[in-house]
Amino acid sequence: MASSTGAGGEGQQIRVNFTTTLPDLQLPEDKSQLLVPGDIKRYGLSRVVNSDAMLNTDSPIPLDFLINGTFLRTSLEDYLRDNGLSFETTVTLQYVRSLVPPIYQASFEHDDWVADVDVLSSTSRAGLWAGNSPPQGQDRIVSASFDGLLRIWNMSGQVIATSPSMSSKSFPSTDYVPAIKSAKFLDATRIASAGMDQTVRVWKYKEGADQLSGDLKPTLELLGHKGGIESMDVHTPSSRILTASNAGEIGFWTTSASAAPDAPESALLQANPAKKRKVSVPTGAQKGALSMMNVHTGPASAVVFHPEDSTAAYSAGQDHTIRTIDLTTSKVINTMTTAHPLLSLCSVQGISTPLLAAGTSARHVTLVDPRASATTTSVMTLRGHRNFVTSLSASPMDNYSLVSGSHDGTCRIWDLRSVRTGSKAEGGGSVSEAVYIIERESQKGQKKKKRHPRRGMQGIRRSLGQAMGHRQWWRG
Amino acid sequence: MAPRTQLKRKASTAAAEAEAATFSDDEFGDGVLEGVLSDDSEDEENSDDEAEDVDGQDEDLDSDEVPSEEDPDEKEDEEHDGPRYRIEKDANGGERYVYDEIDPVYDSDDSDAQDPENTIGNIPLKFYDQYPHIGYNIDGKKIMRPASGQALDALLDSIEIPKGWTGLTDPATGKPLNLSREELELLRKVQMQEIPEEGYEQYPEYVDWFTHEEEKMPISAAPEPKRRFLPSKHEQQRIMKIVRAIREGRIQPYVPPEEREQEEDEEEEIPPPEYLPNKEEKKQWEETDPEDRKKNYLPASYDALRKVPAYDQFVKESFSRCLDLYLAPRVRRTRLNIDPNSLLPKLPRAEELRPFPTVGAVEYNHGSRVRSLAIDPSGEWVASGGDDGAVKFWELRSGKLVASIRISADEPVNAVRWRPGSAILTAAAGQDVYFIVPPMLDQEVQQASRAALDTGFGYATNGKTATLTSNGNRKDPPGTWARPGARLEDQGVLLKITVRADVKVINWHRRGDFFCTVSPTGQRSAVAIHTLSKHLTQIPFRKLPGLAQTAQFHPSRPLLFVALQRTIRVYDLQKQELVKAIQPGARWISSFDIHAASGDHLIVGSYDRRLLWHDLELSARPYKTMRFHPNAIRQVKYSRSFPLFADASDDGTIQLFHGRVHNDLMTDPTLVPLKQLKGHKVVNNLGVMDIDWHPTNPWLVSAGADGMCRLWA
Repeated sequence: MASSTGAGGEGQQIRVNFTTTLPDLQLPEDKSQLLVPGDIKRYGLSRVVNSDAMLNTDSPIPLDFLINGTFLRTSLEDYLRDNGLSFETTVTLQYVRSLVPPIYQASFEHDDWVADVDVLSSTSRAGLWAGNSPPQGQDRIVSASFDGLLRIWNMSGQVIATSPSMSSKSFPSTDYVPAIKSAKFLDATRIASAGMDQTVRVWKYKEGADQLSGDLKPTLELLGHKGGIESMDVHTPSSRILTASNAGEIGFWTTSASAAPDAPESALLQANPAKKRKVSVPTGAQKGALSMMNVHTGPASAVVFHPEDSTAAYSAGQDHTIRTIDLTTSKVINTMTTAHPLLSLCSVQGISTPLLAAGTSARHVTLVDPRASATTTSVMTLRGHRNFVTSLSASPMDNYSLVSGSHDGTCRIWDLRSVRTGSKAEGGGSVSEAVYIIERESQKGQKKKKRHPRRGMQGIRRSLGQAMGHRQWWRG
Repeated sequence: MAPRTQLKRKASTAAAEAEAATFSDDEFGDGVLEGVLSDDSEDEENSDDEAEDVDGQDEDLDSDEVPSEEDPDEKEDEEHDGPRYRIEKDANGGERYVYDEIDPVYDSDDSDAQDPENTIGNIPLKFYDQYPHIGYNIDGKKIMRPASGQALDALLDSIEIPKGWTGLTDPATGKPLNLSREELELLRKVQMQEIPEEGYEQYPEYVDWFTHEEEKMPISAAPEPKRRFLPSKHEQQRIMKIVRAIREGRIQPYVPPEEREQEEDEEEEIPPPEYLPNKEEKKQWEETDPEDRKKNYLPASYDALRKVPAYDQFVKESFSRCLDLYLAPRVRRTRLNIDPNSLLPKLPRAEELRPFPTVGAVEYNHGSRVRSLAIDPSGEWVASGGDDGAVKFWELRSGKLVASIRISADEPVNAVRWRPGSAILTAAAGQDVYFIVPPMLDQEVQQASRAALDTGFGYATNGKTATLTSNGNRKDPPGTWARPGARLEDQGVLLKITVRADVKVINWHRRGDFFCTVSPTGQRSAVAIHTLSKHLTQIPFRKLPGLAQTAQFHPSRPLLFVALQRTIRVYDLQKQELVKAIQPGARWISSFDIHAASGDHLIVGSYDRRLLWHDLELSARPYKTMRFHPNAIRQVKYSRSFPLFADASDDGTIQLFHGRVHNDLMTDPTLVPLKQLKGHKVVNNLGVMDIDWHPTNPWLVSAGADGMCRLWA
């Protein structure tokens, strides 16, 4: 410490003050001030804090350091120099648990583009709803593909079950198959799917004893949408499904066949064109919607349940709006207008207030305060994608991380704790940059193209978090 | 006796002139005459006019006679003429013959009328010396002897006339008006409309300085001799002589002094005489501003030191040195520096005009050259037609190929267009136009589309009966509507029209019942209008004054715009007449589009690389011509929901423009070039073949010759 007077470039020492908001990682009062060498980086700082003299943790906890609201990514020295700060002052470093970079685990090869995936695991939402979640390592993944099929995968990349094709062709000679755009686990044995054939299907999933074969059977067919369904959200405890369609409608359905109203006549006629119906495929009961709401003026691109309240929902549309819907009255309560067509939506718990993240066609993610009282619509902008942001998902484990998938072939992981002020070219406001960027492993794999499912890219490849239970929700 | 009187008169005028010469000009200036002059001149002008009309050519007589009316002296002379007289006693006591006033009728001047002629024959006049008469005229009346000179002189002497007497009264004073000779002469000249200046000769002798005759045969018509164009040998000899002399040193040539380098103590030196400024240089130096002078002094030389003057800038210079000492700022003259860029009209920056497409978002790989593409009215699907004869349907946002229908085995698909408001795609391949109901749409919509296509089948016979020519032969109908065959029908191609020539362009009317097709090679049936609800094909133009390139309906009025190679002709479909012809000035029009909101603005793209904006209300000539491409422009399109338009060029780029049309008629439209979208490859000198705008978002799709379609967002 005595050498702190030496002002040489290499041996420059900087006085830092460690703070944190984490209650379990508090430093003793007298230890928070420290002199560190100027060329120290995140890893070094993390080791210093984890060291015996400081926190004295059993196993090192990877930490990230926030300096003036942004993550320290260079050496401390470089940061001070780049920002024109004095080396004499005490730098306040706030340490937080760092986001562990996801690790590539396996690829799940499909023949056609993958539109959506969902995970059933002990920490996933469906797993929590199911209660009796599968044991570790028995996680299941459902994928919805453009070839109109649902597939159930185990963690080693094997297909356990494939759904029968439900498409009814209006023109026999065309090879057109309506794509399935969304698939979700309702619980361990039920799956909901929706797609361009304008129907929502509930499937019964039965797994064989060897856990390598399974069976998917349609139990319910929900009819009534006027356009292809782009997005679906489920809420198992109240057995409700929400769908968003190209025609700008939001559909509200129930998964119980007895509670569902009858399907409208016209929809039934459409679904069963007399001569073209394939007799072999059982469909299950055909039912209608609890309510069909004409919410958006343009195509609706995403809909999610309110994270706490299953009687409220948010929907995003290409008409630049996010709308808050009261599902009991089927009325739009609040309309938030953004600057760009919105392509995806998810709710984030947020550090202080719950937020909505919306992926736009203008290549960024906008974080929106959904409260009606909010003064500014756009809280933060996540910049970095180079193409449409088509899928978003929040981490179930914490309230500040988010993953987005885009047409540019990357997934980006964002940390809402790191914020900087946007430059003028970016239109000001708060801006954040991606913490990690997951590139597609097979960028050249032209056969399986560009459709990025919810959790990332192609479904061909998934990156799993280091710790399975911790990061599972984040599989790419 | 007439010659005598003339002589006399001449003598008197000469005397008057001599007198006038001695008078000063004073009397002109005193202004007494003014009133009279003006009165007189008015009267006299009339009489002058008459006189001129009557005998304009006889100047002599005229000038003499008119003043004679006023001149009392000359009145005496008249008494010799005329036979009627009365005898009075003159001043000398002798007889004086007083004649009646001559009636100044015009006839008296007749040249045919002979003067009274003495009929006494050839006898000496002295026989009549003792008689008062000198003979007899033809009537036998005595011709009386004129008064002799002595008698006249005596009479004149006897009459005392005050100088300058005129017999008039000055209206200003009431006294008799006296005029000097000079003034009288002036009056006369004014009356005669002569130039009143003294000594001015109005009719000088004409001197024929140059011959006015044009010579038919000039002295020499020989062509310019060759020697005129050759350097003169004589001159060369002379020059060589001088050169030789210079070489031998006999002549010292004058070498102009070089510009001397600026030296520190130059001012103190006595400059050599060739460096002394001449008059012009001095003047120039004095006229330039002190800041702009090269040197701040003028070189001067003096014979002796005592002639050198004191330093004239001494006070000024010491003052400025003082200012320098205490660092006083001084105002310098600022030059008028105008940045040429500041004179350009202010255009808003492109960033302020967002949103507009900036980057390529989605690619659709058609596989072969795409000739046409279109976004469906809902904005969810893209249809593309290419050289492989296939129409492909894509999901707009994901870029997923949804369906591919091969409508023609060998012909390329030239045009694909969606029917407004419904899900029917029309695609042109060869001479056929196909109606496709794509499979991915809602069943209900598909049923409606099928119904729309089928309603016209009952009308088909109407068309056939009308196609008999005068000699009873069955004429080819302009278009045959039929089912395309089972294979295509299974794929959703439900109807086909076959026209006479290859269809290159399809454009729908906004209501979705009519559409026009253009077949540039189709001679007389180049432009056809089809009615879907009646399955009817009509050819509105028997003859077009050129090759039809493309045609389009007006977005709100019943007008059809037909683009020929150089003009766009606007036809009123109800009145069946030509409304106007627009002259974009392009050599070969490739495409045009009409502004949907206003309907009064037009963009035209041409193969000669120009993009032209027309204001139809303003003029038939373009409002603005823009060149942004090195190659031909294939397609131009207005956005339907944003103030944007774009063109597609063979150089593989798309140029985006902001084009805002103001509701206020006085404001000109704002045109700002926004961005060039690059990405398409150039294949066989073809770049971007077609573009289309998304109906609701600021997105653009483009079709490339490289087989790719792109969405720009």
